[in-house]
Amino acid sequence: MNTTSLASKYTELQSKAKDAWKVTWVKRSRGILGTVFFYLVILSLAFVFMYPLLYMISKSLMRPEDVADATIQWIPKKFSLQNYSIALDAINFWKGLVNSIIISFGSAILQVLSCSIIGYGFARYRFPGQAIFLALVVFTFLVPPQTFVVPLFKLFLDLGWVNTHLPFVVPAILGHGLKGALFVLIFIQFYSRLPNVLEEAARIDGAGPFRTYWTIMFPLAKPAMLVVFLFSVVWHWNDLFEPTLYLLVPEYFNLAQNMAFFNGNANLEMQQAASSISQGTLGLAPTLQNQIMAAVMLTIFPILLLYLFTQRYFVESVERAGIAGE
Amino acid sequence: MGKKFKLSMRGRHILEGYSFISIWIIGFLLFMLIPLGQSFYYSLNHLELTQGGLKATYAGLEHYRAAFATDIDFRPFLQTTVTNMLTQVPLILIFSMMSALLLNRGFRGRMLFRGIFFLPVIIASGAILRELLEQGAAQLPIFYQSDLFGKLNAFIPEDILEPLLEYADSLTMVMWDSGVQILIFIAGLQTISPSLYEAAKCDGATKWESFWKITFPMIMPMLFVNTLYSIVNSFTKPDNKIMEYINNIAFRSNNYGYGSAMGWIYFIVISIILAIVFFIFRRSLSATEGRR
Repeated sequence: MNTTSLASKYTELQSKAKDAWKVTWVKRSRGILGTVFFYLVILSLAFVFMYPLLYMISKSLMRPEDVADATIQWIPKKFSLQNYSIALDAINFWKGLVNSIIISFGSAILQVLSCSIIGYGFARYRFPGQAIFLALVVFTFLVPPQTFVVPLFKLFLDLGWVNTHLPFVVPAILGHGLKGALFVLIFIQFYSRLPNVLEEAARIDGAGPFRTYWTIMFPLAKPAMLVVFLFSVVWHWNDLFEPTLYLLVPEYFNLAQNMAFFNGNANLEMQQAASSISQGTLGLAPTLQNQIMAAVMLTIFPILLLYLFTQRYFVESVERAGIAGE
Repeated sequence: MGKKFKLSMRGRHILEGYSFISIWIIGFLLFMLIPLGQSFYYSLNHLELTQGGLKATYAGLEHYRAAFATDIDFRPFLQTTVTNMLTQVPLILIFSMMSALLLNRGFRGRMLFRGIFFLPVIIASGAILRELLEQGAAQLPIFYQSDLFGKLNAFIPEDILEPLLEYADSLTMVMWDSGVQILIFIAGLQTISPSLYEAAKCDGATKWESFWKITFPMIMPMLFVNTLYSIVNSFTKPDNKIMEYINNIAFRSNNYGYGSAMGWIYFIVISIILAIVFFIFRRSLSATEGRR
């Protein structure tokens, strides 16, 4: 009697355990399937994002023979840096690099300093007319540069600032320049989230407003600084609009300009080759394309290197800086 | 400080506030307001370069009329720019929100993928983008290698298929344009407290429901910011036809008056579109305001 009931209970429990195991197994396999699907989606998206870079690297390492070889799609038979050595001269790399660094890093540092001061003023003070000025900050972000570029150019021409770095430096000091308004907004957003206590403590200890800002509040804004700095560097580095306006002598060209110049020349050469030589012998054009790709790689390489080292901090600090706005 | 001027606490506070933003005000006057005023003046005049400098003769609204009446290029350029914006910005927003939702999940290699998703901001902006477009690197090979057109043509008439494929082709451009937006959305998603989702789960809400009832309203402000950013970005992109055209008119043909007038028309068009966006978002934004 006792043993049979025990046995039946045992089998009952066993079947229950089996069912439970089945359920978890189904759940888990669904979970695995979901994960696989998830990774599939995110990997294919990542491929699309990586595609231009992979394309450029692959093309820039090919030799003329590889370009003509139809069997080669991505990986050249023999890696060669021949395109790079040509491009290095063609875009006047070292000179352009120095100019690019001066323009983008110089403006970025100045914009971090000035936009931080301005953002602090907007975030921590209440004064009459504040709403109007804030609206004007947004306004400067929305106006297309084409609307007022002619008088601005004339202003810089009259001041004798054309062919110097001043058209980049002076607006940056005053919190303007390339997307300056956006950077001010980022700092406003960041500072308005900080607690009042630190400031009050500093003021009670006798620090003036600027000393409070410089010694207490500014060092706290590191996440926002990093975001603004990197965005500013990248955008200045890749910008072609302002440099082509204000830097007219090849001596002052930055990398982006040199590359555009090289590309323009190369395209012209290709057209001439296409028109003068008969259609059958168009061997020149593809190699020129590869040289252009090498030139592009050289242009973005410094910025890519910077991004590689700061990427982790960057993505993290975007979250902390509260770039999102309300 | 308090010897000459006796300022109240409030007065001093105001003065300090102004001194912090004073550099911005100076910059605004020098590099924004005065040039804007001048360019408006230019747009109403014929300008000639003489030895004494620029010589202006009043022309009234002639340039503005010319842009629409006699210029055969301006209106088509403006139209394509606006339609490009209208088709791409919604796609950018949808795509960047989906990517942000994906990247916001806790999974292995999250940081690596975030880094990759942000890569286009580094390489696909400005001059580089133009280069890549010319070289055809902006098109994924699946669209032309697998003869998608020929295969699909059997089912779909050519008139519909062609713009559809063109649209699909521009998808890569959409993805590359959404780096900053993805970051903003991720930042927004991080501010939503997990307890909201837990509460919804206890009440029996599905994931789909909690997305529409919690996530979506909570990131409404970011959606607004992203919409503004995407619109402005698409209007000031370097591969924008109208920007190039205005540059050429102003600096190659030295037609400053006409160039300025076109700049102003462009600006007005953008303002109208932004005003519409503001109007659409106004209600949904005021609804979310009290909830934080």
